[in-house]
Amino acid sequence: MDRLIPLIRGDFSRLNKYNLFAANFVVMLVWATLVWFIDAGQLKQFVPVVFVTDSTMMTILLVGATLFYEKQEHTVNSVMVSPVTEDEYLMAKIIVSVLNSLITVVIISGILYFVKDVSYNYLLIALAAVIVTTVHTLIGIFLSYHAKNFTAVLINLMVYSFVCLFPTLFASFGLINAKVAKYLIVLPPEAANILFGAGIKETELWKLVFGFVYLIALAFVLYRFIVKPKFNDYVMREMGV
Amino acid sequence: MIKVKSLKFRYPKNEDYTVKGIDFEIAKGEIFGFLGPSGAGKSTTQRLLIKLLRDFEGEVEYCGRPLKSYNDEFYQDIGVSFEMPISFSKLTAMENLDFFKQLYRHPVDVEPMLKRIGLWDDRDKKAGEFSKGMKIRLNFVRALLNNPKMLFLDEPTNGLDPVNARIMKDMILEFREQGGTVFLTSHIMSDVDELCDRVAFIVDGKLQEIDSPRNLKIKYGKRTVKVEYKEEGQLIQREFTMDEIKTPAFFELLQNKDIETLHSGETTLEEIFIKVTGVHLRG
Repeated sequence: MDRLIPLIRGDFSRLNKYNLFAANFVVMLVWATLVWFIDAGQLKQFVPVVFVTDSTMMTILLVGATLFYEKQEHTVNSVMVSPVTEDEYLMAKIIVSVLNSLITVVIISGILYFVKDVSYNYLLIALAAVIVTTVHTLIGIFLSYHAKNFTAVLINLMVYSFVCLFPTLFASFGLINAKVAKYLIVLPPEAANILFGAGIKETELWKLVFGFVYLIALAFVLYRFIVKPKFNDYVMREMGV
Repeated sequence: MIKVKSLKFRYPKNEDYTVKGIDFEIAKGEIFGFLGPSGAGKSTTQRLLIKLLRDFEGEVEYCGRPLKSYNDEFYQDIGVSFEMPISFSKLTAMENLDFFKQLYRHPVDVEPMLKRIGLWDDRDKKAGEFSKGMKIRLNFVRALLNNPKMLFLDEPTNGLDPVNARIMKDMILEFREQGGTVFLTSHIMSDVDELCDRVAFIVDGKLQEIDSPRNLKIKYGKRTVKVEYKEEGQLIQREFTMDEIKTPAFFELLQNKDIETLHSGETTLEEIFIKVTGVHLRG
């Protein structure tokens, strides 16, 4: 893991140079503005949505864009003929995404605390951000494996949103029957919603425990059996094999 | 340095083997040219040797140890320059090199190399603004920045102007003089002829020839001398075997005729490529 820190620094530097940080910052500003104008009483409903969207959709989008640039410029080939291991490469992507999500958590929480006098369980929110972002970074990498270009990444993201995120939103608006809705916890965005919600409002303990265990297990399965084993094939495909 | 024995490789989705049992050795301090038409197994062999492809049959040894026994530390030892330009386009040349330098234990000072290769003044320019030739030169510096023992160069002079191609060839020759080993693929046969100590021709996954360019030229060439001279206003060509040039008839011709050209019948590496592979070179 000697190369992890240079890889993380390199990824951050490129997020900045390729204006992906700027795009992320604009989205964060939108959230901050919304948070600013929403009534303190309603914020506890709204804040989990902000954190869920940032840790899921924004994470997939940022990872997809990063991998797209690396694919377009063939730089992943160059990295893979350096001493960097697959684990180091993938871990760097996960850590950078997690740090990005934590930055959003800190800024939004800061605004809520200083402007709206709203506080919550920061440790739980941070833990949720770490695990939810890890899972969605891996999902983002997996979706990028199956995308020839950035448009395909966006289409994959839309399909993922349609299948996994929209049911969560429909359930939160009461558009899905409560009996059915309780099974939605197996969808990563719904599990994310429960984890972030638990830091802000009262949540059933079993749901919180299940959410954490489920997402940790999902991250392990994704990494160990899907993302890492397919990484070499992905690099080869980029080389025209 | 590298020993390859009965190397076979088949891509998972293919029925046929791409590399069909090849054997060769590369000595330390040797520049080894690996030539062949597109699709012959050249790039696949190179990817096997640099551990990008792994599930091969046969044996590959690097410095006396099976290649499979090396972990990613193997890459501390080698430098790879791909044919296509590879750099982060929105980073400057120096930022690109600084990023890769941090991944190695013993990086070199790139300033002398950048100066030599003519990129020092452009070091703070974004790589995306570089011409193709500049990007290829940057690739080459990137391959050398860990002070490798062995270089894998894919078409290193393709797209370079003659002056920069000369500089790069000189640097490759100096790398060998300092004990470095080079595995080189190229379609520019004059470069191969100039640089390589030995060359191998791969056709349809099998090696057809391995020898020095000189020996191959002798093997595939004609042992003759062709003379062109003027006689009564007409250009006349005559061919002498190596035995015939020792005879008085040959010397008389040289003394008495108005000789225009005198050529030995050795062939070029390009003609050998065409003969061995049955494929004409592009361009």
